[in-house]
Amino acid sequence: MRKIFNYLVPTVLVLGTLTSCSGDGDGKEIDSDIKDSSKTLMTNFDIKVFSIPSPIQTSMLINQLNLPFYSDILNDPEKVSGYSTKSTQALNLGVYGTDLGYSALYNESSYSLKYLSAVQKLSEKLGLSGAFDKSFMKRFEGHLSNQDTLMTLISDAFMQGDMFLKNDNRKFDAALILAGGWIESMHISSEINIKKATTRIVERIGEQQWTLVSTIDLLSECNANGVNDELIGDLEDLQFYFDKIESKYTYVEPTTDIEDKTTMLNHKLEIKIDTDILNQISMKIRSIREKITN
Amino acid sequence: MKLKLVYSFCFVMLASIAFSQDCEQIARDCSKYLEGKAGENKFISDGQVYTAFLDREKTEIKTTLYGGSTYRIAASAGRKENYVIFTVKDSEGNILFTNRKYKNAPYWDFEVANTIQVLVETELDVDFKNTGCAVILIGFKQ
Repeated sequence: MRKIFNYLVPTVLVLGTLTSCSGDGDGKEIDSDIKDSSKTLMTNFDIKVFSIPSPIQTSMLINQLNLPFYSDILNDPEKVSGYSTKSTQALNLGVYGTDLGYSALYNESSYSLKYLSAVQKLSEKLGLSGAFDKSFMKRFEGHLSNQDTLMTLISDAFMQGDMFLKNDNRKFDAALILAGGWIESMHISSEINIKKATTRIVERIGEQQWTLVSTIDLLSECNANGVNDELIGDLEDLQFYFDKIESKYTYVEPTTDIEDKTTMLNHKLEIKIDTDILNQISMKIRSIREKITN
Repeated sequence: MKLKLVYSFCFVMLASIAFSQDCEQIARDCSKYLEGKAGENKFISDGQVYTAFLDREKTEIKTTLYGGSTYRIAASAGRKENYVIFTVKDSEGNILFTNRKYKNAPYWDFEVANTIQVLVETELDVDFKNTGCAVILIGFKQ
């Protein structure tokens, strides 16, 4: 029995390290339940998992609204070589990934290829070249005019990268990629809304209040030695404005089609955003995005 | 004593590699559920792989489902399809769906007319599996 105990305790500790956000030696305390052998040895990790919706979805919405393609609001792909730290590389991999999705949806092949090249360079620097390897490039180039396939290819590659980073105990990098992608998606939405105000985009911006909270929580969990303090502080400032958005949710019972394995969610949601608040959000997003891309 | 330490270290390394590979394989298998019906477009992944090492507790994924989209939530914890129970709740705690009512179906689609914040609670069905890696994937169509 004692022998088993000798093996199990370190095993559990290592498994915990693998699944927690400790890629950078943040010295997190090990839960007392794990230390205490009288309690369950198989203690759980990642009880709360953070999710950031795909930035591609907002680009799809913009595309469906028949708004023109605005290349001037995207991050310059030439700046890729200037991102020298792991943090800026991860954040801007998210930024360029979002720009790639946006360009590809508009069938802007020359831009798509430039952003693809930027994504590939940063993924190589982050040790993720497996996700955007030569076979990916070939498939991407072979489907340049098929947006549905391109969206699937890009999302699958990012999913592969996410899995690799999590398996490699690098949730810190995975979190920054997600945060960069979300910030760029917010930037694209708010800049397009400044150029051409659209109710659906305003609503989509307002709908980000929960994702903003998840992004802050995610970055806070992966904040070894306070490296994300400035970004978290900026996002908390942004949250101050988001908290002023009025939203009213009304529950309505969903309906399920068992044969189709589909449930229809029938609730109602009303979002009201004051123009001044929207302007403050746009300005704050612009400033955060400038900090991470410059 | 030294030999014991070496054995412990090797065991730990092997266990951790096995866990990681196990999760990776489960994620690969789970991604097949995003393929959709024959002749239809695949569900596009949200780009994230949600993994948790589960015992008898639940893991929670808080996410936003955008209006005007159809989502697929897929779950797997290994070879058999019915290992994972997932329950979708709204921000007020109302249960919108649980696959427990449908023989732990490994995936389910959600047609979302208006944006909603949901909590996806995931647990292993202890009748079939007690402990291990569970993977949840979220895909969408617009």
